[in-house]
Amino acid sequence: MKSQVSALIDGDIALEDAEYLYTTLKSGGESTRTWSDYHLIGDAMRGNPVFSADFTERLMARLDAEPVVLVPAAAAKRKRALLRNSRLWSVAASVSAVAFVGWVVLQQQVQTDIEDDTSPMEIAQNLPADYWLAHQSQASNNSAYYIQPANYAE
Amino acid sequence: MKRFLLAILLVTPIATVHAESEDPWLVLQKAAQAAHDLSYKGVFIYQSGDNIKSVQITHTNSRQGEYARVVVLDGTPREMLSQGGDVVIFSSKNEKVVMEKRRAHNMFPAVLPDDIEYLKTSYKARVGGIERVAGRDGRVVFLDPRDNLRYAYKFWADREYGLLLKSLMLSEQKQMLEQMTFSQVNMLEDQGMDWFHPNVDHDKHYILEEASAQPIDEVSGWAIGTLPVGYRKVEQLTRLVPGKPAPVTQVIFTDGLASVSLFIEPLSKGIRPKIGQTSKGTTNFYANVSKGYQILVVGEVPAATVAQIGSAVSFNDK
Repeated sequence: MKSQVSALIDGDIALEDAEYLYTTLKSGGESTRTWSDYHLIGDAMRGNPVFSADFTERLMARLDAEPVVLVPAAAAKRKRALLRNSRLWSVAASVSAVAFVGWVVLQQQVQTDIEDDTSPMEIAQNLPADYWLAHQSQASNNSAYYIQPANYAE
Repeated sequence: MKRFLLAILLVTPIATVHAESEDPWLVLQKAAQAAHDLSYKGVFIYQSGDNIKSVQITHTNSRQGEYARVVVLDGTPREMLSQGGDVVIFSSKNEKVVMEKRRAHNMFPAVLPDDIEYLKTSYKARVGGIERVAGRDGRVVFLDPRDNLRYAYKFWADREYGLLLKSLMLSEQKQMLEQMTFSQVNMLEDQGMDWFHPNVDHDKHYILEEASAQPIDEVSGWAIGTLPVGYRKVEQLTRLVPGKPAPVTQVIFTDGLASVSLFIEPLSKGIRPKIGQTSKGTTNFYANVSKGYQILVVGEVPAATVAQIGSAVSFNDK
């Protein structure tokens, strides 16, 4: 059920293709909560947090405003019309049971040089791990970053 | 004439005749497409130096588009979900799970660039024999560098589907540097999308990492001269690094397979300048200081390449 709600949010399933889902959503219960969780965390991840109490209500209103059309041709046209959110971010948001979503700028390990010495330092003595990680995370031809990024070296 | 040749091939029981008739570039082209177009699921072993990890990959491409989920099965939990060119990486760090958004990388088995033609300036390709990988027949293709500015590769492409079964990166001394090899792989029928979600640990906090890098169009104060043969600039960005007053500029170069990052930043008080060259595994580092700037080059390329790129930077006189 959860994945279907997710698909619905992404517009991959048109409402009319999921009438039973729509009905279940209207009747409340677990799927309604899933629906609002997805949106809550999805919005948070996009940087516009909506933590208002009437969140579910407004979603249901949006749902109600969406007419149910059972004509296949029209269905195809309107397929992605509901919410044009990337499925991916909703998937990221499918961390639905998470109690807390925070914003933290990851402090990449910066080498703090205690002595204020202007004489150059051989990098052989001190591997610049922060640059390495920045390279791995941005350079396109790098499977290693997904599997074993530099700062995860065990 | 073609028919005649084909007839000969069909009746000749010697496999080598067939091997010679196969164009290695076509095999690689097919492998590049297959990795994106096909739907498959498998487990591959990633090995780099002493590091060995099992990785599970599920990849589908239906009318909805391209989706993948990659789960690292050994060590610290880490997984990645991708949709088209967008990626979210989930990685456990102590009591937290950090979520990062990224642009998609070339991830095994999609390690080959879409534009195979581009590789021809830097590499020579030749077809090898048939070797079995993950229970399947693989056509071997060697990709040897035309100079000493990049490493050599050996690929095994599935004879039936074209998909890469194994990829090997080799040093000038023909030693294994990095290897990815399927231990099991299957083609998928239409799967639906139920598999496309991360494994959620309810006891952990999920934290979204803010993107710190911004793409930029132009740089001022310095320019990049002649690059090593075959390398071209693909991306240019700046990032703010905690503890540094000025943004660091990062320029990324690739020859289609290998990639190199160049970092430039103004020298500032309290940060000790770095110079010299060093390496770790397949990665080489080069650092230098010039006209009040710190230059640092990092890449999975031979030492000569990072040094050449580092020396190609020239600064305008102030």
